[in-house]
Amino acid sequence: MTTTTDDITVEGAAASTTTDATGVQIAAMAKRYPDGTLALDGIDLQIAEGEFICIIGASGCGKSTLLRIMAGFEAHTGGSVAVRGSEVRGPGPDRGVVFQDYGLFPWLSVRSNIAYGPRQQGLPAEEVQARVERYLDLVQLTEFGDRFPSQLSGGMQQRVAIARVLANDPAVLLMDEPFGALDSLTRETLQSTLLGIWEEVASTVVFITHSVEEAVNLSNRVVVMSGGPNHGCPGYIKEVVDIDLPYPRDVTSPAFNDIKRHLIATVHGGVDHP
Amino acid sequence: MDRRAARLALAIPVPIALLALWSLAVRAEWVANLPAPSRVGSQLWALIGGDEIFQATLWGHLLQSSLRVVMGFGLACVLAIPMGVLLGRSARLRDMLDPTISLLRPVPVTAWAPLMVVIVGIGTRSATILIFIAAFFPVLLNTVTGVRAVPVRLTEAAAMLGTRPHRVLDRVILPASIPNIFAGLRIGLGFAWVVVVVGETVGVQTGLGAFIEQARQVSRTDLIIAGMLFIGLAGYLSDRALAGGFALALRKRPILTA
Repeated sequence: MTTTTDDITVEGAAASTTTDATGVQIAAMAKRYPDGTLALDGIDLQIAEGEFICIIGASGCGKSTLLRIMAGFEAHTGGSVAVRGSEVRGPGPDRGVVFQDYGLFPWLSVRSNIAYGPRQQGLPAEEVQARVERYLDLVQLTEFGDRFPSQLSGGMQQRVAIARVLANDPAVLLMDEPFGALDSLTRETLQSTLLGIWEEVASTVVFITHSVEEAVNLSNRVVVMSGGPNHGCPGYIKEVVDIDLPYPRDVTSPAFNDIKRHLIATVHGGVDHP
Repeated sequence: MDRRAARLALAIPVPIALLALWSLAVRAEWVANLPAPSRVGSQLWALIGGDEIFQATLWGHLLQSSLRVVMGFGLACVLAIPMGVLLGRSARLRDMLDPTISLLRPVPVTAWAPLMVVIVGIGTRSATILIFIAAFFPVLLNTVTGVRAVPVRLTEAAAMLGTRPHRVLDRVILPASIPNIFAGLRIGLGFAWVVVVVGETVGVQTGLGAFIEQARQVSRTDLIIAGMLFIGLAGYLSDRALAGGFALALRKRPILTA
Protein backbone atom coordinates (compact mmCIF):
# COMPACT_ATOMS: atom_id res chain seq x y z
CA MET A 1 0.00 0.00 0.00
CA THR A 2 1.41 3.30 -1.00
CA THR A 3 -1.39 5.70 -0.22
CA THR A 4 -1.11 7.58 3.00
CA THR A 5 -3.13 10.52 4.13
CA ASP A 6 -1.68 12.44 7.00
CA ASP A 7 -4.55 14.81 7.18
CA ILE A 8 -8.19 13.92 7.10
CA THR A 9 -9.82 14.74 3.81
CA VAL A 10 -13.32 15.95 4.37
CA GLU A 11 -16.23 14.09 2.89
CA GLY A 12 -17.85 15.53 -0.18
CA ALA A 13 -14.73 16.30 -2.16
CA ALA A 14 -14.36 12.54 -2.29
CA ALA A 15 -17.55 11.95 -4.25
CA SER A 16 -15.90 12.99 -7.52
CA THR A 17 -13.19 10.35 -7.11
CA THR A 18 -15.71 7.51 -7.34
CA THR A 19 -16.43 7.09 -10.99
CA ASP A 20 -17.26 3.39 -10.91
CA ALA A 21 -20.92 2.89 -10.05
CA THR A 22 -20.63 -0.83 -9.36
CA GLY A 23 -19.43 -2.89 -6.42
CA VAL A 24 -17.74 -1.23 -3.47
CA GLN A 25 -15.23 1.58 -3.95
CA ILE A 26 -13.14 2.63 -0.97
CA ALA A 27 -10.62 5.41 -1.57
CA ALA A 28 -8.14 7.01 0.84
CA MET A 29 -10.53 6.20 3.63
CA ALA A 30 -9.63 7.11 7.22
CA LYS A 31 -11.37 6.74 10.54
CA ARG A 32 -10.41 8.93 13.48
CA TYR A 33 -12.17 8.47 16.81
CA PRO A 34 -13.37 11.53 18.73
CA ASP A 35 -10.44 11.10 21.15
CA GLY A 36 -8.03 11.64 18.25
CA THR A 37 -6.95 8.02 17.74
CA LEU A 38 -6.54 7.17 14.09
CA ALA A 39 -8.08 3.69 13.77
CA LEU A 40 -7.80 3.32 10.00
CA ASP A 41 -5.86 5.27 7.44
CA GLY A 42 -5.19 5.17 3.71
CA ILE A 43 -7.65 2.39 3.02
CA ASP A 44 -8.03 1.79 -0.71
CA LEU A 45 -10.09 -1.15 -1.85
CA GLN A 46 -12.10 -1.78 -4.98
CA ILE A 47 -14.50 -4.69 -4.80
CA ALA A 48 -16.06 -5.76 -8.08
CA GLU A 49 -19.73 -6.58 -8.42
CA GLY A 50 -20.25 -10.23 -7.49
CA GLU A 51 -16.81 -10.63 -5.97
CA PHE A 52 -16.22 -12.57 -2.73
CA ILE A 53 -13.65 -10.78 -0.55
CA CYS A 54 -12.30 -12.04 2.77
CA ILE A 55 -10.61 -9.72 5.23
CA ILE A 56 -8.19 -11.24 7.71
CA GLY A 57 -5.79 -9.76 10.22
CA ALA A 58 -4.78 -9.79 13.86
CA SER A 59 -7.17 -8.53 16.53
CA GLY A 60 -7.31 -4.76 16.71
CA CYS A 61 -6.24 -4.14 13.11
CA GLY A 62 -9.57 -2.49 12.40
CA LYS A 63 -11.15 -5.07 10.10
CA SER A 64 -14.43 -4.99 12.01
CA THR A 65 -14.33 -1.19 12.03
CA LEU A 66 -13.85 -1.24 8.25
CA LEU A 67 -16.89 -3.47 7.87
CA ARG A 68 -18.96 -1.34 10.26
CA ILE A 69 -18.05 1.73 8.20
CA MET A 70 -19.18 -0.03 5.02
CA ALA A 71 -22.38 -0.93 6.86
CA GLY A 72 -22.85 2.69 7.90
CA PHE A 73 -22.90 1.93 11.64
CA GLU A 74 -19.82 4.11 12.06
CA ALA A 75 -18.89 7.16 10.02
CA HIS A 76 -15.56 7.43 8.26
CA THR A 77 -13.78 10.70 8.85
CA GLY A 78 -11.78 10.88 5.64
CA GLY A 79 -11.77 9.66 2.04
CA SER A 80 -14.77 7.91 0.58
CA VAL A 81 -16.74 4.69 0.80
CA ALA A 82 -19.22 4.15 -1.99
CA VAL A 83 -21.53 1.24 -2.79
CA ARG A 84 -22.77 1.15 -6.38
CA GLY A 85 -21.66 4.73 -6.77
CA SER A 86 -23.41 6.23 -3.78
CA GLU A 87 -21.50 7.41 -0.75
CA VAL A 88 -22.25 5.51 2.48
CA ARG A 89 -23.92 7.84 4.98
CA GLY A 90 -25.62 5.41 7.34
CA PRO A 91 -27.02 1.90 7.45
CA GLY A 92 -29.38 0.85 4.69
CA PRO A 93 -31.01 -2.20 3.10
CA ASP A 94 -28.57 -2.11 0.15
CA ARG A 95 -25.90 -3.39 2.58
CA GLY A 96 -27.02 -6.50 4.44
CA VAL A 97 -25.04 -7.25 7.57
CA VAL A 98 -24.65 -10.73 9.05
CA PHE A 99 -23.41 -10.52 12.65
CA GLN A 100 -21.47 -13.13 14.57
CA ASP A 101 -24.26 -13.17 17.19
CA TYR A 102 -27.03 -13.33 14.52
CA GLY A 103 -29.05 -10.33 15.78
CA LEU A 104 -32.37 -12.00 14.95
CA PHE A 105 -35.56 -10.55 16.44
CA PRO A 106 -36.49 -13.08 19.14
CA TRP A 107 -40.20 -12.16 19.14
CA LEU A 108 -40.58 -12.86 15.42
CA SER A 109 -40.83 -16.28 13.82
CA VAL A 110 -38.22 -17.32 11.26
CA ARG A 111 -40.60 -16.34 8.44
CA SER A 112 -41.34 -12.97 10.03
CA ASN A 113 -37.64 -12.30 10.56
CA ILE A 114 -37.02 -12.89 6.86
CA ALA A 115 -40.10 -10.86 5.90
CA TYR A 116 -38.99 -7.96 8.08
CA GLY A 117 -36.75 -6.20 5.54
CA PRO A 118 -39.06 -6.50 2.51
CA ARG A 119 -41.92 -5.24 4.69
CA GLN A 120 -39.92 -2.18 5.70
CA GLN A 121 -39.44 -1.48 2.01
CA GLY A 122 -43.20 -1.51 1.61
CA LEU A 123 -43.28 -4.37 -0.89
CA PRO A 124 -46.70 -5.90 -1.62
CA ALA A 125 -47.63 -8.86 0.59
CA GLU A 126 -47.41 -11.45 -2.23
CA GLU A 127 -43.90 -10.26 -3.12
CA VAL A 128 -42.85 -10.39 0.54
CA GLN A 129 -44.17 -13.92 0.86
CA ALA A 130 -42.52 -15.03 -2.36
CA ARG A 131 -39.16 -13.73 -1.15
CA VAL A 132 -39.58 -15.35 2.26
CA GLU A 133 -40.25 -18.75 0.72
CA ARG A 134 -37.45 -18.36 -1.83
CA TYR A 135 -34.76 -17.52 0.72
CA LEU A 136 -36.09 -19.93 3.32
CA ASP A 137 -35.66 -22.62 0.67
CA LEU A 138 -32.22 -21.31 -0.29
CA VAL A 139 -30.96 -21.74 3.30
CA GLN A 140 -32.84 -25.07 3.57
CA LEU A 141 -35.03 -24.08 6.49
CA THR A 142 -38.49 -24.29 4.95
CA GLU A 143 -39.73 -26.77 7.55
CA PHE A 144 -38.52 -24.51 10.38
CA GLY A 145 -40.22 -21.36 9.08
CA ASP A 146 -42.73 -21.12 11.92
CA ARG A 147 -40.21 -21.67 14.71
CA PHE A 148 -38.77 -18.87 16.77
CA PRO A 149 -35.02 -18.12 16.76
CA SER A 150 -34.57 -19.44 20.31
CA GLN A 151 -35.81 -22.83 19.12
CA LEU A 152 -33.01 -23.18 16.55
CA SER A 153 -29.35 -24.15 16.76
CA GLY A 154 -26.67 -21.52 16.23
CA GLY A 155 -25.97 -22.68 12.69
CA MET A 156 -29.67 -22.54 11.80
CA GLN A 157 -30.02 -19.09 13.33
CA GLN A 158 -27.14 -17.87 11.20
CA ARG A 159 -28.82 -19.30 8.10
CA VAL A 160 -31.95 -17.34 9.04
CA ALA A 161 -29.81 -14.21 9.43
CA ILE A 162 -28.35 -14.75 5.95
CA ALA A 163 -31.81 -15.31 4.44
CA ARG A 164 -33.08 -12.21 6.24
CA VAL A 165 -30.56 -9.90 4.56
CA LEU A 166 -30.78 -11.62 1.16
CA ALA A 167 -34.52 -10.98 1.16
CA ASN A 168 -33.67 -7.28 0.85
CA ASP A 169 -31.74 -8.02 -2.36
CA PRO A 170 -28.68 -6.11 -1.14
CA ALA A 171 -25.86 -4.77 -3.31
CA VAL A 172 -23.37 -6.26 -0.91
CA LEU A 173 -23.41 -8.80 1.90
CA LEU A 174 -21.26 -7.73 4.86
CA MET A 175 -20.39 -10.65 7.14
CA ASP A 176 -18.55 -10.04 10.41
CA GLU A 177 -17.02 -13.34 11.53
CA PRO A 178 -20.38 -14.98 10.89
CA PHE A 179 -19.25 -18.52 11.65
CA GLY A 180 -16.88 -17.61 14.46
CA ALA A 181 -19.17 -18.83 17.24
CA LEU A 182 -19.99 -22.17 15.59
CA ASP A 183 -18.38 -25.57 15.98
CA SER A 184 -16.03 -26.62 13.18
CA LEU A 185 -18.41 -29.14 11.60
CA THR A 186 -21.28 -26.64 11.42
CA ARG A 187 -18.79 -24.09 10.18
CA GLU A 188 -17.68 -26.26 7.26
CA THR A 189 -21.29 -27.01 6.33
CA LEU A 190 -22.18 -23.33 6.40
CA GLN A 191 -19.16 -22.44 4.29
CA SER A 192 -20.38 -24.67 1.48
CA THR A 193 -23.96 -23.47 2.00
CA LEU A 194 -22.73 -19.88 1.69
CA LEU A 195 -20.78 -20.67 -1.49
CA GLY A 196 -23.91 -22.28 -2.94
CA ILE A 197 -25.94 -19.18 -2.08
CA TRP A 198 -23.28 -16.90 -3.52
CA GLU A 199 -23.36 -18.84 -6.78
CA GLU A 200 -27.15 -18.63 -6.85
CA VAL A 201 -27.66 -14.95 -6.02
CA ALA A 202 -24.34 -13.64 -7.44
CA SER A 203 -24.06 -11.14 -4.60
CA THR A 204 -20.96 -9.18 -3.66
CA VAL A 205 -19.65 -10.51 -0.34
CA VAL A 206 -17.27 -8.97 2.19
CA PHE A 207 -16.46 -11.58 4.81
CA ILE A 208 -14.34 -11.04 7.91
CA THR A 209 -12.74 -14.06 9.52
CA HIS A 210 -9.99 -15.06 11.91
CA SER A 211 -9.42 -18.26 10.01
CA VAL A 212 -6.93 -18.15 7.15
CA GLU A 213 -8.23 -21.47 5.91
CA GLU A 214 -11.80 -20.15 5.81
CA ALA A 215 -10.60 -17.11 3.85
CA VAL A 216 -8.73 -19.21 1.27
CA ASN A 217 -11.60 -21.64 0.98
CA LEU A 218 -14.24 -18.99 0.31
CA SER A 219 -12.91 -15.95 -1.43
CA ASN A 220 -11.73 -14.58 -4.78
CA ARG A 221 -9.37 -12.26 -2.96
CA VAL A 222 -8.00 -12.14 0.57
CA VAL A 223 -7.29 -8.74 2.09
CA VAL A 224 -4.71 -8.86 4.88
CA MET A 225 -4.93 -6.01 7.35
CA SER A 226 -2.32 -5.07 9.92
CA GLY A 227 -1.44 -2.39 12.44
CA GLY A 228 -4.04 -0.80 14.64
CA PRO A 229 -3.81 1.73 17.48
CA ASN A 230 -2.36 -0.91 19.81
CA HIS A 231 0.56 -1.36 17.44
CA GLY A 232 1.38 2.31 17.26
CA CYS A 233 -0.10 3.00 13.84
CA PRO A 234 -3.54 3.06 12.24
CA GLY A 235 -4.95 -0.12 10.76
CA TYR A 236 -4.01 -0.49 7.08
CA ILE A 237 -4.18 -2.96 4.23
CA LYS A 238 -0.93 -4.88 4.15
CA GLU A 239 -1.50 -7.11 1.18
CA VAL A 240 -4.21 -8.30 -1.16
CA VAL A 241 -3.89 -11.85 -2.45
CA ASP A 242 -5.85 -13.24 -5.42
CA ILE A 243 -7.10 -16.80 -4.98
CA ASP A 244 -7.48 -18.29 -8.43
CA LEU A 245 -8.30 -21.83 -7.35
CA PRO A 246 -11.52 -23.27 -8.80
CA TYR A 247 -14.52 -23.99 -6.56
CA PRO A 248 -15.19 -26.25 -4.71
CA ARG A 249 -11.73 -26.03 -3.23
CA ASP A 250 -9.71 -28.86 -1.83
CA VAL A 251 -8.32 -27.69 1.50
CA THR A 252 -5.73 -30.46 1.41
CA SER A 253 -4.27 -29.62 -2.02
CA PRO A 254 -0.71 -28.27 -2.26
CA ALA A 255 -1.81 -25.12 -4.12
CA PHE A 256 -4.35 -24.35 -1.36
CA ASN A 257 -1.75 -24.82 1.31
CA ASP A 258 0.88 -22.74 -0.51
CA ILE A 259 -1.51 -19.78 -0.39
CA LYS A 260 -2.49 -20.57 3.17
CA ARG A 261 1.18 -20.69 4.25
CA HIS A 262 1.92 -17.40 2.56
CA LEU A 263 -1.08 -15.72 4.20
CA ILE A 264 -0.25 -17.03 7.66
CA ALA A 265 3.27 -15.62 7.25
CA THR A 266 1.80 -12.28 6.16
CA VAL A 267 -0.68 -12.12 9.04
CA HIS A 268 2.05 -12.90 11.56
CA GLY A 269 4.70 -10.93 9.72
CA GLY A 270 4.58 -7.83 11.88
CA VAL A 271 3.64 -4.26 11.19
CA ASP A 272 5.27 -2.44 8.28
CA HIS A 273 3.05 0.58 8.06
CA PRO A 274 4.38 2.80 5.25
CA MET B 1 -51.72 -38.77 39.11
CA ASP B 2 -51.24 -36.03 36.52
CA ARG B 3 -49.26 -32.89 37.13
CA ARG B 4 -52.23 -30.66 37.89
CA ALA B 5 -53.56 -33.01 40.53
CA ALA B 6 -50.11 -33.37 42.04
CA ARG B 7 -49.75 -29.62 42.31
CA LEU B 8 -53.18 -29.29 43.90
CA ALA B 9 -52.33 -32.03 46.40
CA LEU B 10 -49.17 -30.13 47.33
CA ALA B 11 -50.94 -26.79 47.66
CA ILE B 12 -53.81 -27.86 49.91
CA PRO B 13 -52.13 -28.93 53.21
CA VAL B 14 -50.68 -25.50 54.06
CA PRO B 15 -53.98 -23.56 54.14
CA ILE B 16 -55.63 -26.45 55.99
CA ALA B 17 -52.88 -26.38 58.61
CA LEU B 18 -53.20 -22.61 58.93
CA LEU B 19 -56.96 -22.95 59.45
CA ALA B 20 -56.38 -25.64 62.07
CA LEU B 21 -53.84 -23.48 63.89
CA TRP B 22 -56.25 -20.54 63.75
CA SER B 23 -59.05 -22.72 65.17
CA LEU B 24 -56.77 -23.92 67.92
CA ALA B 25 -55.70 -20.38 68.76
CA VAL B 26 -59.34 -19.34 69.13
CA ARG B 27 -60.31 -22.36 71.24
CA ALA B 28 -57.28 -22.14 73.52
CA GLU B 29 -57.82 -18.37 73.76
CA TRP B 30 -54.19 -17.58 72.87
CA VAL B 31 -55.31 -14.38 71.21
CA ALA B 32 -58.07 -12.12 72.48
CA ASN B 33 -60.92 -11.06 70.15
CA LEU B 34 -59.93 -13.49 67.40
CA PRO B 35 -63.06 -14.79 65.67
CA ALA B 36 -63.33 -18.47 64.83
CA PRO B 37 -62.68 -19.43 61.21
CA SER B 38 -66.22 -20.77 60.99
CA ARG B 39 -67.65 -17.39 61.99
CA VAL B 40 -65.49 -15.58 59.41
CA GLY B 41 -66.54 -18.21 56.89
CA SER B 42 -70.25 -17.81 57.46
CA GLN B 43 -69.90 -14.01 57.52
CA LEU B 44 -67.97 -14.12 54.25
CA TRP B 45 -70.63 -16.37 52.77
CA ALA B 46 -73.36 -13.96 53.74
CA LEU B 47 -71.39 -11.06 52.31
CA ILE B 48 -70.76 -12.87 49.06
CA GLY B 49 -74.48 -13.58 48.95
CA GLY B 50 -75.08 -9.83 48.87
CA ASP B 51 -75.69 -8.78 52.49
CA GLU B 52 -75.44 -5.03 52.69
CA ILE B 53 -73.08 -3.63 55.28
CA PHE B 54 -71.49 -0.17 55.69
CA GLN B 55 -73.56 1.47 52.91
CA ALA B 56 -72.94 -1.23 50.29
CA THR B 57 -72.64 -4.94 49.59
CA LEU B 58 -69.14 -6.43 49.63
CA TRP B 59 -69.35 -6.48 45.83
CA GLY B 60 -70.16 -2.79 45.89
CA HIS B 61 -67.12 -2.13 48.06
CA LEU B 62 -65.00 -4.24 45.73
CA LEU B 63 -66.32 -2.31 42.73
CA GLN B 64 -65.43 1.03 44.33
CA SER B 65 -61.91 -0.16 45.17
CA SER B 66 -61.45 -1.66 41.71
CA LEU B 67 -62.49 1.58 40.04
CA ARG B 68 -59.92 3.49 42.08
CA VAL B 69 -57.24 0.89 41.30
CA VAL B 70 -58.06 0.97 37.59
CA MET B 71 -58.03 4.77 37.49
CA GLY B 72 -54.87 5.29 39.53
CA PHE B 73 -52.98 2.41 37.96
CA GLY B 74 -54.23 3.29 34.48
CA LEU B 75 -53.11 6.88 34.87
CA ALA B 76 -49.72 5.69 36.14
CA CYS B 77 -49.29 3.46 33.07
CA VAL B 78 -50.38 6.16 30.63
CA LEU B 79 -47.77 8.54 32.01
CA ALA B 80 -44.99 6.20 33.19
CA ILE B 81 -44.62 4.00 30.09
CA PRO B 82 -44.07 6.83 27.55
CA MET B 83 -41.93 8.71 30.05
CA GLY B 84 -39.90 5.57 30.74
CA VAL B 85 -39.36 5.03 27.00
CA LEU B 86 -38.14 8.61 26.59
CA LEU B 87 -35.86 8.35 29.62
CA GLY B 88 -34.53 5.01 28.42
CA ARG B 89 -33.70 6.45 25.01
CA SER B 90 -32.18 9.77 26.04
CA ALA B 91 -29.13 10.02 28.30
CA ARG B 92 -29.63 13.78 28.50
CA LEU B 93 -33.19 13.41 29.74
CA ARG B 94 -31.98 10.86 32.31
CA ASP B 95 -29.34 13.29 33.55
CA MET B 96 -32.05 15.89 33.84
CA LEU B 97 -34.67 13.82 35.66
CA ASP B 98 -32.86 11.02 37.47
CA PRO B 99 -31.93 13.00 40.61
CA THR B 100 -35.50 14.25 41.06
CA ILE B 101 -36.95 10.79 40.55
CA SER B 102 -34.45 9.26 42.96
CA LEU B 103 -35.47 11.77 45.63
CA LEU B 104 -39.21 11.39 45.19
CA ARG B 105 -39.32 7.63 44.79
CA PRO B 106 -38.38 6.63 48.38
CA VAL B 107 -41.13 8.81 49.89
CA PRO B 108 -43.68 6.23 51.06
CA VAL B 109 -47.29 6.60 50.06
CA THR B 110 -48.25 6.74 53.74
CA ALA B 111 -46.21 9.95 53.90
CA TRP B 112 -47.99 11.35 50.84
CA ALA B 113 -51.40 10.52 52.31
CA PRO B 114 -51.70 13.32 54.93
CA LEU B 115 -50.60 15.90 52.37
CA MET B 116 -53.12 14.65 49.81
CA VAL B 117 -55.92 14.70 52.38
CA VAL B 118 -55.17 18.34 53.12
CA ILE B 119 -54.60 19.66 49.61
CA VAL B 120 -56.93 17.42 47.60
CA GLY B 121 -59.40 16.63 50.32
CA ILE B 122 -60.85 13.43 51.64
CA GLY B 123 -62.39 11.17 49.04
CA THR B 124 -61.99 9.18 45.87
CA ARG B 125 -59.72 11.69 44.19
CA SER B 126 -57.21 11.58 47.01
CA ALA B 127 -57.19 7.75 47.08
CA THR B 128 -56.76 7.61 43.30
CA ILE B 129 -53.83 10.02 43.38
CA LEU B 130 -52.14 7.92 46.07
CA ILE B 131 -52.56 4.80 43.94
CA PHE B 132 -51.16 6.69 40.99
CA ILE B 133 -48.07 7.69 42.97
CA ALA B 134 -47.51 4.16 44.22
CA ALA B 135 -47.86 2.51 40.81
CA PHE B 136 -46.03 5.20 38.86
CA PHE B 137 -42.47 4.52 40.03
CA PRO B 138 -42.22 0.75 39.50
CA VAL B 139 -43.78 1.09 36.04
CA LEU B 140 -41.45 3.97 35.17
CA LEU B 141 -38.25 2.37 36.43
CA ASN B 142 -38.93 -1.00 34.86
CA THR B 143 -39.73 0.62 31.54
CA VAL B 144 -36.46 2.59 31.66
CA THR B 145 -34.58 -0.61 32.51
CA GLY B 146 -36.32 -2.51 29.73
CA VAL B 147 -35.63 0.10 27.08
CA ARG B 148 -32.00 0.45 28.13
CA ALA B 149 -31.52 -3.32 28.10
CA VAL B 150 -32.43 -3.64 24.41
CA PRO B 151 -29.26 -4.99 22.78
CA VAL B 152 -27.59 -2.51 20.41
CA ARG B 153 -27.34 -5.40 17.98
CA LEU B 154 -31.12 -5.39 17.49
CA THR B 155 -31.28 -1.70 16.64
CA GLU B 156 -28.33 -2.17 14.27
CA ALA B 157 -30.12 -5.09 12.65
CA ALA B 158 -33.26 -2.98 12.29
CA ALA B 159 -31.29 -0.11 10.74
CA MET B 160 -29.46 -2.23 8.18
CA LEU B 161 -32.72 -3.93 7.21
CA GLY B 162 -34.13 -0.55 6.25
CA THR B 163 -36.19 0.47 9.28
CA ARG B 164 -36.78 4.21 9.13
CA PRO B 165 -35.47 5.90 12.29
CA HIS B 166 -38.90 6.92 13.58
CA ARG B 167 -40.14 3.32 13.32
CA VAL B 168 -37.32 1.74 15.35
CA LEU B 169 -39.27 2.47 18.52
CA ASP B 170 -42.36 0.43 17.70
CA ARG B 171 -40.59 -2.18 15.54
CA VAL B 172 -37.77 -3.04 17.94
CA ILE B 173 -37.49 -1.06 21.18
CA LEU B 174 -41.02 -1.73 22.44
CA PRO B 175 -41.25 -5.43 21.59
CA ALA B 176 -37.79 -6.01 23.04
CA SER B 177 -38.64 -4.23 26.30
CA ILE B 178 -42.01 -5.89 26.86
CA PRO B 179 -40.74 -8.39 29.47
CA ASN B 180 -39.45 -5.61 31.71
CA ILE B 181 -42.45 -3.35 31.14
CA PHE B 182 -44.71 -6.24 32.06
CA ALA B 183 -42.73 -6.88 35.26
CA GLY B 184 -43.17 -3.20 36.16
CA LEU B 185 -46.92 -3.37 35.52
CA ARG B 186 -47.31 -6.37 37.82
CA ILE B 187 -45.38 -4.69 40.63
CA GLY B 188 -47.32 -1.46 40.09
CA LEU B 189 -50.67 -3.23 40.15
CA GLY B 190 -49.70 -5.05 43.35
CA PHE B 191 -48.78 -1.71 44.95
CA ALA B 192 -52.07 -0.27 43.75
CA TRP B 193 -54.02 -2.83 45.78
CA VAL B 194 -51.90 -2.14 48.86
CA VAL B 195 -52.44 1.57 48.54
CA VAL B 196 -56.16 1.47 47.78
CA VAL B 197 -56.66 0.20 51.31
CA VAL B 198 -54.43 2.91 52.80
CA GLY B 199 -56.19 5.53 50.70
CA GLU B 200 -59.65 4.36 51.64
CA THR B 201 -59.00 4.36 55.36
CA VAL B 202 -58.68 8.13 55.17
CA GLY B 203 -62.27 9.14 55.01
CA VAL B 204 -64.08 7.52 52.11
CA GLN B 205 -67.31 5.68 52.86
CA THR B 206 -67.10 2.79 50.40
CA GLY B 207 -64.37 0.50 49.18
CA LEU B 208 -62.67 -2.48 50.77
CA GLY B 209 -60.32 -0.22 52.77
CA ALA B 210 -63.28 1.78 54.09
CA PHE B 211 -65.05 -1.49 54.82
CA ILE B 212 -62.16 -2.69 56.97
CA GLU B 213 -61.77 0.68 58.68
CA GLN B 214 -65.46 0.80 59.60
CA ALA B 215 -65.33 -2.79 60.84
CA ARG B 216 -62.43 -1.78 63.05
CA GLN B 217 -64.42 1.12 64.51
CA VAL B 218 -67.12 -1.34 65.60
CA SER B 219 -64.55 -4.00 66.58
CA ARG B 220 -65.91 -6.60 64.13
CA THR B 221 -62.82 -8.74 63.65
CA ASP B 222 -64.79 -11.26 61.60
CA LEU B 223 -65.59 -8.54 59.07
CA ILE B 224 -62.01 -7.27 59.09
CA ILE B 225 -60.69 -10.72 58.21
CA ALA B 226 -63.39 -11.24 55.59
CA GLY B 227 -62.38 -7.92 54.01
CA MET B 228 -58.71 -8.90 54.11
CA LEU B 229 -59.40 -12.19 52.36
CA PHE B 230 -61.40 -10.38 49.71
CA ILE B 231 -58.61 -7.89 49.04
CA GLY B 232 -56.12 -10.75 48.73
CA LEU B 233 -58.42 -12.45 46.26
CA ALA B 234 -59.02 -9.25 44.28
CA GLY B 235 -55.27 -8.55 44.04
CA TYR B 236 -54.59 -12.10 42.95
CA LEU B 237 -57.33 -12.08 40.33
CA SER B 238 -56.27 -8.72 38.90
CA ASP B 239 -52.69 -10.00 38.59
CA ARG B 240 -53.96 -13.09 36.77
CA ALA B 241 -56.08 -10.88 34.53
CA LEU B 242 -53.03 -8.75 33.67
CA ALA B 243 -50.90 -11.80 32.93
CA GLY B 244 -53.74 -13.34 30.91
CA GLY B 245 -54.15 -10.13 28.93
CA PHE B 246 -50.46 -10.14 28.09
CA ALA B 247 -50.46 -13.82 27.16
CA LEU B 248 -53.42 -13.20 24.88
CA ALA B 249 -51.79 -10.19 23.23
CA LEU B 250 -48.50 -11.99 22.66
CA ARG B 251 -49.98 -15.37 21.79
CA LYS B 252 -47.05 -17.78 21.77
CA ARG B 253 -44.30 -15.33 20.98
CA PRO B 254 -41.20 -15.78 23.09
CA ILE B 255 -40.65 -12.22 24.24
CA LEU B 256 -37.45 -12.62 26.19
CA THR B 257 -34.43 -11.13 24.51
CA ALA B 258 -31.15 -13.01 24.72
